[in-house]
Amino acid sequence: MRRPPTAPHRRRLGHPWTRPPAAAAGPAVAALRTGARRPRPLRLANPRLTAAAGSVALAASVPLAYVAYRAATGGADVWAGLLQTRLLGLLVNTLALTVTVTAGAAALGISMAWLTERTDLPGRNLFRWLLALPLAIPAYIGAVIHLALLRPRSGYVPRAAEALFGRDIPLPSPVGFFGAAFVLALFTYPYVYLLSAAAFRSLHASLEEASRSFGRGTWATLRQVTLPSLRPGLTAGALLVALDVLAEYGTVAMLRYETFSSAIFVQLAGRYDREAAAILSGVLVTIAVVALWGERRYRRRARHTQMAGDWRPAPLHPLGRGRLPATLLVLGVCSLSFLVPVGMLVVWSGQALLDPAAQAEAFRSGSRGLWDFAWNSLWASGLAAVLAVALAVPVALLAARHPSRLSRAFSTMCQVGYALPGVVVALSLILLVNRYLPLLYATPLLVVLAYVVRHMPQAVRSAEAAFGQVSASMEEAARSLGHSPSRAFLHVTLRLALPGLLAGGALVFLTSLKELPATLLLRPAGFDTLAVRVWIWAGEGFYTRAAPAALLLVLAAAGPLYLLLRRNSLFRGPSGAPAPGTDRVTMERIGHP
Amino acid sequence: MKGIHRTHIHPARIVSALALFGLILAFGLLAGCGATTSDVADTGATTTGPSQGADTTAPAEAAAPAGGASGRLVIYSARNEPLVQPAIDAFMALNPDVEIALKTGKNGELANALAEERANPQADLFVTTELLTVQSLAADGVFAPYRSPAANAIPAELRGPDDLWTGITRRARVIMYNTELVTADEAPTSIFDLVDPKWKGQVAAADSTNGSMQAQVAALRVLLGEGPTLEWLEGLLANEVTFFGGHTDVRKAVGAGEFKIGLVNHYYYYLQQAEGSPVGIVFPDQGEAEIGLFTNATAAAVIAGSANPTAAQAFIDFLLSPEGQKLFAEANYEYPLLPGVALHPDVQPLDGLRQADVDVAAAALDLDATFTLIEKSGMQ
Repeated sequence: MRRPPTAPHRRRLGHPWTRPPAAAAGPAVAALRTGARRPRPLRLANPRLTAAAGSVALAASVPLAYVAYRAATGGADVWAGLLQTRLLGLLVNTLALTVTVTAGAAALGISMAWLTERTDLPGRNLFRWLLALPLAIPAYIGAVIHLALLRPRSGYVPRAAEALFGRDIPLPSPVGFFGAAFVLALFTYPYVYLLSAAAFRSLHASLEEASRSFGRGTWATLRQVTLPSLRPGLTAGALLVALDVLAEYGTVAMLRYETFSSAIFVQLAGRYDREAAAILSGVLVTIAVVALWGERRYRRRARHTQMAGDWRPAPLHPLGRGRLPATLLVLGVCSLSFLVPVGMLVVWSGQALLDPAAQAEAFRSGSRGLWDFAWNSLWASGLAAVLAVALAVPVALLAARHPSRLSRAFSTMCQVGYALPGVVVALSLILLVNRYLPLLYATPLLVVLAYVVRHMPQAVRSAEAAFGQVSASMEEAARSLGHSPSRAFLHVTLRLALPGLLAGGALVFLTSLKELPATLLLRPAGFDTLAVRVWIWAGEGFYTRAAPAALLLVLAAAGPLYLLLRRNSLFRGPSGAPAPGTDRVTMERIGHP
Repeated sequence: MKGIHRTHIHPARIVSALALFGLILAFGLLAGCGATTSDVADTGATTTGPSQGADTTAPAEAAAPAGGASGRLVIYSARNEPLVQPAIDAFMALNPDVEIALKTGKNGELANALAEERANPQADLFVTTELLTVQSLAADGVFAPYRSPAANAIPAELRGPDDLWTGITRRARVIMYNTELVTADEAPTSIFDLVDPKWKGQVAAADSTNGSMQAQVAALRVLLGEGPTLEWLEGLLANEVTFFGGHTDVRKAVGAGEFKIGLVNHYYYYLQQAEGSPVGIVFPDQGEAEIGLFTNATAAAVIAGSANPTAAQAFIDFLLSPEGQKLFAEANYEYPLLPGVALHPDVQPLDGLRQADVDVAAAALDLDATFTLIEKSGMQ
């Protein structure tokens, strides 16, 4: 029986459905599993590694703990005031948007994945790329373009409609709940798309065949067999979407829909009520933690075991007469989420280049030029990526090599960043750093620190996956062949894990580039990043001025995204059979905001 | 199993060594930054000491070469970037040795940052769009006193107590409307007309994070009391006024006809008109029984503990110089404070307009009450 080489690690990532049967697992796997199931007595496997991992975990959880503390100790009167005036409305607003966007993104992501992976859709190899690329566009840039296109009367679309029909055509309002939900769903569906596309690809042919042979039709099979087996990937993707929406500031602010994130920003920026901001943050983080916890519970219950032995791809469904509408649908989604936004940015950039005044403004602002902003974006995000990966290594190594309650606790502590929206990170860092580390305050390093705190989970998960894939016995073999322990580690384990670590770094880099609220709140004077420039210029309505910076930002984000997608076996081979297992790992890694 | 553990002790040690190295490196970096920051802070302290105590009215002293100032000047500006950058460019042309770092943001955002940084000042100069913020920050001890020689010529009420801040230009709160959608006769003549159901859903304004809007609420509160002010705010909400993050959005929306009416500062009307939009302006509340026109002033202040007070003072001198005043008057249609500087020919002079009788200082003292009022109304 052929067994994928990555079995032990996959199990740890929490996707038990691909777990090989226990009987097939090698001794190392069996050992790891007993270790994981039955908590060992608390014995420090490796004191130094444990100490290093512990300090990283502790440092990573400080911001969350601090916000929780501030919220809990917030004055009763502030709590009461907020309860009376804002809390309920914000809760309803935030939850409504989160649920709607998550549902929309899930529907969009799954249908796109099914069409590109399980049908004979023409051009599906190209669409696979196009459908993943919106991840390179920050949602607030999408919101800017959405507004420019659809603003009543002044937008491009209403004006074109007026020119065409000679009168005002009533169009739905581009702002508020529906506008925000539309834009956010359009720019977050790739999380669901990538994870469910991977699941569709590694789907076993016999599952659907068996279903059919029992008399189920195409739809019944899809509903009762195929979709349920997607559940783990789907919930993981949905969680990412939900966390993204909870953390989103730029889009909801631009489209004038108030959620917890934007309300906290207003408390910090407009009125500076830190106590109220801390309380709102506490509630927001609680929602995020509940979402994280719920997804874990749900995933644990939904186990799907698949025997990996005689894997072969499931045959494609012929679309038949549905070919044209299906193609148009996919093309429409690609257009709205990628082609139109990028097209608009290119056109505006062109206008900025042609108009001397706009050109001067776009490429220079005071003593700073566009390249300064780009450089700031690149080095801050790059440094954040390096730091995040370096800090993740001890935590991941401990979790991968010495699984225990303690090492899992450390790993979980490092994942709190998922539940910390940018505004909350900024709030806790402003309060903490100015009080305890004033030298760091108002330096660009504070911005880098915020990126590290916020995006650390991606690095930790990637590093855990990477070390998990490197069997301990390989290093053992190197040492038995006479290599020193350090050499064995550096030349075998680290080397083999390096691509995975780099992928984690690329992910941190990508998400840090796109980060807006923490950068806005923490940047020192004169330190503008591309994201900040786009926000300031677009906020003033200078779209042509903002466009070159936005385009540069998208290009810079497309680099690491391309590397991540390339690593993904989704794009390997012609229509190819993925190596079972590897898909899921990379998808996990890509799919983290 | 034991074997597995034993084999990995050493690599792990390397990793922890690496992590330690990383930490040391990080701390080294911090220490490096720290050193430079504290150096700067030290110089700041020595320069501020004498200039603060002995001679607050002295302009940029002879220490710097002919241009006046040098070094790095950190400006926090609540004026939008397009409304402050021209002044910065002109100042840098005159003072090529000064390197300016600008951080723009809302009044509140920057005020908070300044208050937060009091023990650890980062900025040298604060430029703002209204007087409430400078008044309350001055009371908090955020500013160092400085009277520019030119400031003697501006109205005394537009100089802060103890010269802690200086007014730069004046602006008025007006109503602008789209002339394709509203005729001059129909246009509202009072800010209280904005709550008339006739204009339901047709009015745009800046939201409560905007300094000029806050100042208007604060002034109304002082002038009319809490009840009528709250009533007005609730009336705006009931009338489905759309609140934007800033006035640029408002003027563009009115210019494009997305909204019929906007509540803005006067220069937004002129800026929009200059873009060729069909817009009209009303200086509201001019009737006999009415409250009169609200005006406000932009201001600048030197930060206490600034690392480069000389450059900050030189910048204020420049803002109050005929050149600086002309820049704001011509490029941004503002009312210059320096006598003798001409108003933009298109702008209606304030003389002859009935102005609201409000004491800004009094309004600033109760800033919290104003925010409470805004919260209570539920305004965004």
